[in-house]
Amino acid sequence: MKRGDYVVKRVVFALITIFVAITLNFFLFRVLPGSAVTNIARVPHASPQLIHSLEREFGLDKPKWEQYLLYLDNLAHGNLGISFADQQPVSQHIRQDLANTIPMLSLGTVVAILMGLVSGVVAAWRRGGLGDYASSGVALFLYSFPTQWLGLMLLIFFAGLLPAGGMSNPFAFNQTYVQHLEDLLRHMILPSLTVALTLYGGYTLIVRSAMLETLGEDYVLTARAKGLSNWAVIRRHALRNAMLPTVTLIALGLGSIVGGFILVEVVFSWPGIGQAAYEAVVQRDYPMLQAVFLVLTISVVLFNLLADLLYLKLDPRVSE
Amino acid sequence: MGTDSTIDSLNPMVAFQATAIWVHTNIYPYLLNYNKNAEIIPSFARSWKASDGGRTYTFHTVPNAEWSDGKPLTAKDAAWTINTLVKYKSGPTSYWEPQVLHITKADAPNDNTLVVHYNKPIATALSNILQFPILPEHVWGKLATGNGKELKTYPNTPQNGKPLVSGGPFMLTKYQKDQLAILQANPHWWGPKPHISGFGIQIFSNSDAMLSAFKNGQIDAIDDVPNTAVDTLKKAGFVVRTTPGNFFYDFIINSNPKKPEHRELLNVKLREAFEYAIDRQRIVNVALNGFGTIGATIVPATTGKWHDSNVKPLPFDLAKANGILDSLGFKRGSNGIRVADGHPMSYQVIVPNSRTDVLTPTFRVIQGDFRKIGISLQEKVLDPNGAFEAITAPNDKYLNFDLAMWDWIPGEDPDSILSVLLCNQYGSNSDTGYCSPAYDRLYREQAEAIDVDRRVQIVHEMQAMIAHDRPYIVLNYPDVIQAYTKNWTGFYDLPGEGIFDVYQSMLDVHTTS
Repeated sequence: MKRGDYVVKRVVFALITIFVAITLNFFLFRVLPGSAVTNIARVPHASPQLIHSLEREFGLDKPKWEQYLLYLDNLAHGNLGISFADQQPVSQHIRQDLANTIPMLSLGTVVAILMGLVSGVVAAWRRGGLGDYASSGVALFLYSFPTQWLGLMLLIFFAGLLPAGGMSNPFAFNQTYVQHLEDLLRHMILPSLTVALTLYGGYTLIVRSAMLETLGEDYVLTARAKGLSNWAVIRRHALRNAMLPTVTLIALGLGSIVGGFILVEVVFSWPGIGQAAYEAVVQRDYPMLQAVFLVLTISVVLFNLLADLLYLKLDPRVSE
Repeated sequence: MGTDSTIDSLNPMVAFQATAIWVHTNIYPYLLNYNKNAEIIPSFARSWKASDGGRTYTFHTVPNAEWSDGKPLTAKDAAWTINTLVKYKSGPTSYWEPQVLHITKADAPNDNTLVVHYNKPIATALSNILQFPILPEHVWGKLATGNGKELKTYPNTPQNGKPLVSGGPFMLTKYQKDQLAILQANPHWWGPKPHISGFGIQIFSNSDAMLSAFKNGQIDAIDDVPNTAVDTLKKAGFVVRTTPGNFFYDFIINSNPKKPEHRELLNVKLREAFEYAIDRQRIVNVALNGFGTIGATIVPATTGKWHDSNVKPLPFDLAKANGILDSLGFKRGSNGIRVADGHPMSYQVIVPNSRTDVLTPTFRVIQGDFRKIGISLQEKVLDPNGAFEAITAPNDKYLNFDLAMWDWIPGEDPDSILSVLLCNQYGSNSDTGYCSPAYDRLYREQAEAIDVDRRVQIVHEMQAMIAHDRPYIVLNYPDVIQAYTKNWTGFYDLPGEGIFDVYQSMLDVHTTS
């Protein structure tokens, strides 16, 4: 019963968060100074009528609360609206952008998690030794870099060896499926590596500190006393208990996968959702902005919820 | 070819990014075109004649032309395009409304004759018609029904592996949003055949990545080269093409006569002092890395005869500027800042953040020199929409702002840049609050002057007027910088335009070997 209460509470809380975020998304962009149609309307001989006709077309002439209700109504029907920038359905763009973003960021994140686990465990196990300094030192060093700078450095360093931008070689015709996949992977290396290097430092530090805590516990001492191998002590006793904070961090990280890494995508001309967000901001494309933020919000909230529920499984104490 | 300007849409009713328009010029026929002297030359229209005092234009088009799908391309397509733009000009085709201004209708009495009717003679009839593409009626006709909304929502991209129905030298065969566009030679093209079988445009969201791809041979030509990269590229053996752009940066002084505060800024003598205190050459050196030309008039030299070369920039002379301000009675306060009507002469300069790479260094040069003439300036950076709202505030009345900086792309015909200073542009294109009945009268006269020499004279007179009144102090015309590898030659050199702006660019391109 208590367990059920916990789940219901978490789900309700997630839904409220999403609703508040939707509302904030709507008003946030509209309180900025300036109008969404100023740019589009700056053509030779533009007349105030042109601005008004564009505003009418985009529904911006209605009072804000009416626009808001319309927006909620559309959302409830799964309609994300029409992009101001190119008049195409936003949902179509978002689908394509997500399909481009998710593989690249997933690769980066998986690599980051693996690297973080290994270097975190090494650092904790060799606490105070060379292994600790080397492993946490490098992790901290990379963690503190601005993502876009790291990306640019990789881009310059690997210039000529790996493609500088885009998702595929636009001038390769008649590729077989395997060739296409290979091309895609080659393009994915640098952006994914940037993501991995940026993220793994955080994982390293969390894993290291969680491991240090568990390594000091009596049950680890017992395990050692039983004569278990180092590997068995780490895997079965220390790491498993150190996973609690790590899971939260991973879940939060997964949430941001869907939101995209705006800077990485812009640096590597990756046509994903981060770049779409960037362009939508520049063009004041409200429907696109709202949709991008909606996807981001929902994914962060959902992955948080997932983390909460995983906690329940990993650590039954939370429902007590 | 690489560019860092994106393709916003391929629909001509929607697209306004330069790369999108360049794709259109390559895949659609245009009635007329410009040559290297910015003169109008035949294209799909082989000849033309004005009659009825400039109320009717008759064009004779290329016979036996075809669209890329083999269907006939005739004057009827042109007439349909014009009539559609006219019919929906207050709705879906409002983007092209200025280009079909005063057109009542177009007829095609036969396949090779197009007759366009105007409700009054206008000087820009040809330069307006030159700007929009002719669209295939057999593709677009079904969209122009009812309220015509589909004209704007039609994606106009290649579908099911079939190229877009094209009538220019190339046809669009592949398009991926924010990534690439592939164009291949159109086998049905009615003009001189291009030497290349096709080309691709790769879109980068970061110019460093584009440069890196260029240096490593992934692409052969690039648009919008950062001026800091020119030397490196030249040393590495690339061809770097720089040409004065049809583009200018300007210093804006609020010219609304009804401005309630800081009214000293309306004084023409004070504006003259401001111009003396602007070191244009240093701005070119600092903000443009030397890649630009100092300027004074809103109609650049790239427009040929329309440019008034008698309008010259004032020399940089702080002593003169100080002398004028002294003579106007603006005494310096204890902190060295002059005082006008009891308030210190300290002003905010609005700058759009889309151009801060150039305008912030420009501002710093001006700020330093203005300090020496006892004027204090502060930079206020806003996003373009916010900056425009700050200039027009409150409610398009232009009462609040003092100074600003921005830019314009004037175009080959002077009409559009001259129009931004009209009284009726409050809330639309005006970023100066300038409103002068005398100027408006001259504008109307030039717009109706069918005689070219007469029109040139009026256009020059208007430039002199603006140089005197100084709603804008034109700072410079930055260069268009592009680069390509030594393997290619034959890019078309249209003054003021990049190779990525004119369709002729790709017609004569060929390998050097």
